[in-house]
Amino acid sequence: MKSKQLIEENNRKREQLTPQNDTYYSDMLIYIRLQLSLSEQQSEEVLMEMLDHLLDGQYEGKSAQDIFGDDPKRYADEIILNLPKEQKREVIPFILRIVIDLVSWMLMIRGVVILVFSQFNIGNVSTSVYLFSTLFIFAFILGSITFGIWYIFRIIKQSLFKEKANEKKNIVKAGLFGAVSMGLIIAVSKFTPEFGPAFHFSWWASLLTGGTLWVIIFMLKKLDIGFR
Amino acid sequence: MSLRSQLLKGILDGCVLAVIEKEPVYGYELSKKLQEVGLSDISEGTIYPVLLRLQKNGLIRGEMQPSESGPNRKYYHLTAEGKGSLEMIASEWKQIVEPVNSLFKGRNLQ
Repeated sequence: MKSKQLIEENNRKREQLTPQNDTYYSDMLIYIRLQLSLSEQQSEEVLMEMLDHLLDGQYEGKSAQDIFGDDPKRYADEIILNLPKEQKREVIPFILRIVIDLVSWMLMIRGVVILVFSQFNIGNVSTSVYLFSTLFIFAFILGSITFGIWYIFRIIKQSLFKEKANEKKNIVKAGLFGAVSMGLIIAVSKFTPEFGPAFHFSWWASLLTGGTLWVIIFMLKKLDIGFR
Repeated sequence: MSLRSQLLKGILDGCVLAVIEKEPVYGYELSKKLQEVGLSDISEGTIYPVLLRLQKNGLIRGEMQPSESGPNRKYYHLTAEGKGSLEMIASEWKQIVEPVNSLFKGRNLQ
């Protein structure tokens, strides 16, 4: 069974848990799934085994504490320690897909923005692309996304295994990060000097390239070959 | 950690392998069988990190199969490597148990 099916089955079965067992199990589930470097297949398999066991125990009147102990974080750490790492050949296509997805959206948005701006004569829109400046800005955006994922995962991890999670504070933290990084990205793209070789890249070429990339990624995802 | 649980921890891999050798089992069955033979103070969840480690080391392999009661369960089978490892653990255990038993002989144990 593929990990995607396991996740769907897990969602269905989790509904049978009592509220207390659900809280206990779901915290472990999120904590283990946040470990991106571990094999997704193996993680989902052991999560399913633990859920099946918990459900069997629940029918016999046992609680999650009876089965997995009083310290869910320590137990989950033990599971993580023994899970195998994800194979590189699984990781690279995954990251590549995200990057290409991002590029396709940026190209499509660029095309639309240039079209709209030139239609309404707003400002002086340049259709030239400066290779090095563009690469620099793109690297900066990728960097802030990577940092963002790490930061938000950290917030989620800290909110797990607590009696009372301070959700408001976490929402403010995540929102603040979003605002600051957006501001930084805008500032960087505005103030990066234009350098390196330049070429003309019209709105329709931009839209077409972006759209084609997006369709390719979409089809690969549908066919489930390599890119997952 | 109590002495008993420390001793158990050391030999748990061997116990798990021995159960799986008799017939393929899934997690819940495994914990039931360990309890039935009298190892009742192993908390049920303890077996999953052990199963993961044994799998990673190639001593057992898991296979999704329909269970007797219907739904799919991951059944663990012993590999050839696992059989070798179990034999080694059993002989190591014997080398400890026999001398220790002879040392403790004659005591009124409950």
